Amino acid sequence: MRAVIRIIRLYFIQAWFSYRSLFAWSTPFNYFASKLGFPFFSMLLFMFMGKYAGFTDPTFIIIGNILLLPALNGVSGISQTVGGERQFGALSYLLASPAPRAPLFLGRAFFHILDGFITLLVALPAAVIFLGMDVTRINLGLVFICVLTLCITTNGIGFIMGTVTLLSRDGWMITSTLSIAFYMLIGVNFPVENLPAFLQWVAYGLPMTRGIMAARLALNGADWTRIAPLISGEILIGLLYIMIGYASFRFVERASIRSGLLDTI
Amino acid sequence: MGLFTRQIDVQLRMRTLNLYSLLLWFIQPIVFSAVGMILSNAAGNPAPDLVYTVIGGGIMGMWSGLVFTSTYDIRSDRREGTLEIIVGSPTSLRKIEAIRTFANVAAGSISLIAAFLVAVLIYKFPLSQADLLSAVISLLVILFGLWCMGVFLANLMVWSRLSTSIVEFIEMPVALLAGFMYPIRILPAWMQEISSVFPIRWGLETLRTAIQGPALNQETLIKWAISIGISLIIYLLSRLLDRKVHDLIRVSGELSSI
Repeated sequence: MRAVIRIIRLYFIQAWFSYRSLFAWSTPFNYFASKLGFPFFSMLLFMFMGKYAGFTDPTFIIIGNILLLPALNGVSGISQTVGGERQFGALSYLLASPAPRAPLFLGRAFFHILDGFITLLVALPAAVIFLGMDVTRINLGLVFICVLTLCITTNGIGFIMGTVTLLSRDGWMITSTLSIAFYMLIGVNFPVENLPAFLQWVAYGLPMTRGIMAARLALNGADWTRIAPLISGEILIGLLYIMIGYASFRFVERASIRSGLLDTI
Repeated sequence: MGLFTRQIDVQLRMRTLNLYSLLLWFIQPIVFSAVGMILSNAAGNPAPDLVYTVIGGGIMGMWSGLVFTSTYDIRSDRREGTLEIIVGSPTSLRKIEAIRTFANVAAGSISLIAAFLVAVLIYKFPLSQADLLSAVISLLVILFGLWCMGVFLANLMVWSRLSTSIVEFIEMPVALLAGFMYPIRILPAWMQEISSVFPIRWGLETLRTAIQGPALNQETLIKWAISIGISLIIYLLSRLLDRKVHDLIRVSGELSSI
């Protein structure tokens, strides 16, 4: 029992400190600017691109860009948190500590999940008020489930990219590239069906694609039977990525202990 | 001349030849162009408007590259402790910053060149109608505008620790307002009025007209004049900022504490 409590305590302590350290340099302005600056103005840019292409209703683009917000936390935030350990010289201490690895590694996601969730809860009503998004048919309970699922499943890529950031000085660039690619790949600005066939395969192999589709349906009033297959698929893909992220971290950790090279990359 | 080539060499190696620049010059524009093309296709258009989707993406890459490299210049000098040394050297910070920004603009134009090549070679964009002289002048007007904005941003960003975040409110809003990916007329009237303060907006309008047909007329000349005029105002503002930065270092010595 004490061991379980110790692991839970460690999970939350790790979660809190890693989240605080990520924003240690930050003021509220920095925080809101980094979270909402680029996504908000990108959304407006895509809205006008859609308008020029001939779409009169920007709702699809607004919803997609809002649902993408947790990806900022789940991918960029976690990747930075993990990669920051090496950048700030804390990696050696982390690797040498006897603490169990699962709460140590996975704990880095907790506040990003919470942060992403709260961001969406603020952004969706803001879109209704300021951008006139129609939510008259919304299935609120299911939207909550979809949003929470999205906030969790994005973390898998964040863990993987965090490990990549440990292995490469250019890891951040790869993470940024992936984050930009999301605007095209996962059904944010147009349905996945509009992508070329091979990119559709890529899209369905990524977390968030099904989650965003499910959230769109829930916003349009769909019931559980319609979104269940999408949510199940999203959870499966998300868990798979989280497991790959954790396994790759353990692999890199062991290799690092053998070679002692991780801090020198 | 020796100073110029050495600065360009250092600048290209330090700021521009890194993978993050590749993201800004190529990957981000490719994604935005692809979104534009797919949206156009989804809307049932027979073909995307290459001037806005492909070439617009190149302009975006050029702009994003400039924003990040120029805003990083003086900021990184300050962080690495070399800013005071540069100010103490016989060459003025202003001159060094002017050369650096020139390197940033020149390097960023690779994005626009790549977009042009994609439009012409892959999508067979016809250049037979293009007014090449007007297009080249428009491009020079745009590059001058970008250079002035780059020098201004480099000096502006040194004022506060918040500057990192200010970039978030410069890159996309300018792309949004200056009509990189769509014509300005798509924007609401109040946004069009705001966009008129950006010199690149005017240069872009004439560049697009020129690559689609004859453009050397009075309207084009007026737009070039407006663009150059606004660019010069921005440059004069950057001279004021530059003097303030100098004073912060040499007179009050408080820059390091900001």
